[in-house]
Amino acid sequence: MRRYGLSFWVIVLWLLLSLLGQWLPLDAHQIELESILQGPGSSHWLGYDDLGRPVFDRLLAGSYTSCVVALTVVSLSLVIGTILGTMSAYLGGVFDLVITRIIDIFLAFPGILLAIALAGIMGPGIDNVVIALSVVGWVGFARLARAQTLSVKHRDHVIAAQVMGSRNSKIIFRHLIPLITTPLLVEATFGIASVVIAEAGLSFLGLGVQAPDASWGSMIRDGTRYMLVAPHLVLVPGLALMIVVLAVNLAGDRLRDWLDVKTNRVEERI
Amino acid sequence: MLKIIVSRLLSTVIVVFGVACLVFLLIHLVPGDPVDMMLGENAQMADRESLREALGLNQSIGAQLLTYFNNLLHGDLGTSLHSRVPVVEMLAERIPATIELALVSLLISCLIAFPLGIVAALNKGKGWDRTAMGVSLLGVSIPNFLLGPVLILVFSIYLGWLPVSGRNGIDSMILPAITLGTALAAVLSRMIRSTLLEVLSEDYIRTARAKGSSHVQVVIHHALPNAMLPIITLLGLQLGVLLGGAVITETVFSWPGIGKLTIDAIMKRDYPVLQACVLLISITYVVVNMITDIVYAWIDPRIRIGGQS
Amino acid sequence: MKALAKHLTRLNYGLLIIASLYLAACDSPVSDAVRFGLASAPISLDPRFATDAASSRINRLLYQRLVDFDEQFRPIPALAEWRQLTPFSFRFQLRDSVQRLFENGKKLSAVDVKATYDFILDKKNASPHRGSVANIDHIQVVDENTIDFRLKKPDPLFPAHLVIGIVPAMGIDKEQGLNNRSMGSGAFRFVAWPSNDHLIIERRRDKLRIEFIHVQDATVRVLKLLRGEIDILQNDLPRELVHYLERQNAIQVKHRAGSNFSYLGFNMKDPALTDIRVRQAIAHAIDRHSLIRYLLGGKTQVANALLSPEHWAGITHTSGYVFNPSLARRLLFEAGYSDKKPLVLEYKTTNDPFRIRIATIIQQQLGEVGIKVKLLSFDWATFYGDIKAGRFQLYTLSWVGIKSPDIFRYVFHSESLPPQGANRGQYANEEVDQLIDKAESAIDPQRRAAYYRQLQQLLLQDLPFVPLWYEEHFYAANREISGYQMALDGNYDGLKAIMKTSHQQPANQIE
Repeated sequence: MRRYGLSFWVIVLWLLLSLLGQWLPLDAHQIELESILQGPGSSHWLGYDDLGRPVFDRLLAGSYTSCVVALTVVSLSLVIGTILGTMSAYLGGVFDLVITRIIDIFLAFPGILLAIALAGIMGPGIDNVVIALSVVGWVGFARLARAQTLSVKHRDHVIAAQVMGSRNSKIIFRHLIPLITTPLLVEATFGIASVVIAEAGLSFLGLGVQAPDASWGSMIRDGTRYMLVAPHLVLVPGLALMIVVLAVNLAGDRLRDWLDVKTNRVEERI
Repeated sequence: MLKIIVSRLLSTVIVVFGVACLVFLLIHLVPGDPVDMMLGENAQMADRESLREALGLNQSIGAQLLTYFNNLLHGDLGTSLHSRVPVVEMLAERIPATIELALVSLLISCLIAFPLGIVAALNKGKGWDRTAMGVSLLGVSIPNFLLGPVLILVFSIYLGWLPVSGRNGIDSMILPAITLGTALAAVLSRMIRSTLLEVLSEDYIRTARAKGSSHVQVVIHHALPNAMLPIITLLGLQLGVLLGGAVITETVFSWPGIGKLTIDAIMKRDYPVLQACVLLISITYVVVNMITDIVYAWIDPRIRIGGQS
Repeated sequence: MKALAKHLTRLNYGLLIIASLYLAACDSPVSDAVRFGLASAPISLDPRFATDAASSRINRLLYQRLVDFDEQFRPIPALAEWRQLTPFSFRFQLRDSVQRLFENGKKLSAVDVKATYDFILDKKNASPHRGSVANIDHIQVVDENTIDFRLKKPDPLFPAHLVIGIVPAMGIDKEQGLNNRSMGSGAFRFVAWPSNDHLIIERRRDKLRIEFIHVQDATVRVLKLLRGEIDILQNDLPRELVHYLERQNAIQVKHRAGSNFSYLGFNMKDPALTDIRVRQAIAHAIDRHSLIRYLLGGKTQVANALLSPEHWAGITHTSGYVFNPSLARRLLFEAGYSDKKPLVLEYKTTNDPFRIRIATIIQQQLGEVGIKVKLLSFDWATFYGDIKAGRFQLYTLSWVGIKSPDIFRYVFHSESLPPQGANRGQYANEEVDQLIDKAESAIDPQRRAAYYRQLQQLLLQDLPFVPLWYEEHFYAANREISGYQMALDGNYDGLKAIMKTSHQQPANQIE
């Protein structure tokens, strides 16, 4: 699949706008009381919110938030999860038993519930959101890494490295992890989409970004209060959220298909 | 078979215990004083110490933990700090609402997912498949806190067909159930599709076709029943998605269930209620998973007879 | 395939039947009760414990109290008249002209009054109202209708504290208590509380039922009003929705001025805020008129003092701090701040979206004069804890339902540090302390009022807080509702007189 589809360009646009938003002189916090709740129009593209702030600028600010949180959380979860999962599968024994139980306990909390409870308890703020989501996120990667490692740890070159007396850490990092990056990357891509949704969800509940900072989730929540008189406040960030998440999910799908094809091709050759 | 049941039961008990501990620890990391919560903005003086004592907040963490487990085993989940009602009562009041919502959502998601998944599998690689999977991807990409308000906007505010929120009567259940059900439907339809495709590649399918059954007959009479097993397993696991998603959906629609209670408890720093809700939801999830596993093991003769998990 | 189709049809019919049964069982929207939409649900029907606004306001309907207040907030007899016997004691006489039967049929007497206040004074019961009556040394029942209150310290304004609803001495269920059902003698009696969000009471004289329906979301409340699912709502709507309702022909909207006081509090021990110029700069930087015009609207009025102008001790003519950003900037410059070295302040508020909205605007207004404000919002408990512990620089809150001027001692006296008092900013001004003492010991009510006025002028000059406004009250109702009046502090006493056209007075029945 060498064509870069629409989803790819949407993601690039998202990243660009997010970064751009930080460099451009934005008015995300500029209050104009007279413009309160004005709808989209010629003067300002996407209208104003309940404090007379331009929605377009807040949209970009929110974009940056979701971008940063998603990339941070997924990176943290990926690193921690992979290391723990691989170690657990490779070292086995008590360590493995403990880690698996811990994973099971964390997985006993359905989806976002633990993140909500954690964020709710730690208090509001985007830092706590990152922590909460990472605490919940590493588990999925760990489980995947462990399963993958279990299936590859008996491969020849790994055994060869063991026989040669390489240190465990070297084996893990040089031999095992490179073998399992592929499925992990696919998982990471889908992880980005779900973290974007999770961050927006937490901000929607009031547990994430704090006023006056913008997040798509908090914009939607603030917007629902004025749905009767200014529906654009919900629809604009909502649409943006949906498009970005859709694009990332599509990209993940494509990535997975592409990597499957690649694996299949490799196996054929063997 | 018995060995399987026992081992699953044991590991579930360990997990449940771990969950309960985690939930307890979680709550006690809180900053902020629940005693203040009860006094409101304009209360004049308050007898704080006696209040704290009455609530047991003066003991050490260890003592509180022991009391916690002791109470749990006796079915005492404490009293709400906010309304002074026993937590068990509050839960009992709200559980029916969540169960109602979960079941109807499950129904709606099946009604959406099965046709989508079957159509996609029947038309693999062709237009309908892509469309169906596109729709399902869309479903995964629209979070429930967005879908909910949009549905409210269209069906309650503009069209006035359905109530905005609350729980009274069947029409107030429609929008929340659709909201909660679509995310599940999206995931489910993909799973149905892939499971069906797997089953369709089996030998006995080819035999059925060779015997002259039509494609549709084959799918419905042969493939689907065999695919039901893994699908039901997946349904059980997806209950977790429902329970987790219910938290936000119930908040959006002010549906008086356990999910909304959880959020309210967080907002009001009502420790005992929050603890109980998280515990209830997680344990339900764990137990359902365990039951699903056992049922799966029992139904699948290979596992039952083979005796190895 | 045909089998499948047959199955589906049968299923459809089945669903249709179930659906119609359900719909038939639904509540029809037509009702002769007055359905009152509430933003927060009442928590407790026990007046000895309830402190939140919703519970307190509803308890006023279910219970009677010894003392009430007139429009100037002077204490007037409700259940009882009083005389001061000595500086340390008051005699209260229950009035025969007032109907006072409890819901269980027993007549309210002195024993019940003593029981209620004894309960509150008892530390064991942990009543949050204990502080307001802590000055009571002991209570004596003189006869069936007379009670003597003996005080620890002289207080000519003591009657103003006796505002708690009287509960019966006997007949309260030991386990249930009064949290979930009332046992009062007020204009209304308890009917049912089937769920947290639905409370039903009945007006005794004509059996009109009031259903309090908790609808937290403002949009939903408005929609319910428009659809006839509720009949009336009061306050707790953003201005835009009020305007929306005003544009609807089927809805009547009325506004009135209020007395609930909103303010911006300072931490007087904070090094940056001890400089009066900084506080004055902040006062001049806030454009209260704009805020009122765009956000609060209606009859909200700029405030310059804690007590509203209607209050017997309120100040009426005073020029407050005019919106003057350039003056603000100059004051800050004099205090040593500039663009290179700006003043940085933390502003804490609750999670309430309305407060956050106001706070964000104030943040921006302060930003315009060079003050960098960091806005932090918390849930109520954390916020309140921080405020009491002095962990703040700026915060906004309101004083709701303030009737008696001992609020000044409670808030501004240098000895009233939390948790005993509410002097959260740790304000210490000798002149203020002296004025408070003088006002409290003044015998002549005119002198007392004069002292309090002087005190408020002094506070306005010294700025331990920036007075913001007295928020208006409004109600919106459908056209079936009439006769509802709002009170200055936003209570629901108007329900005593409300009428609904579809409610028929019961014909004389033999019961």
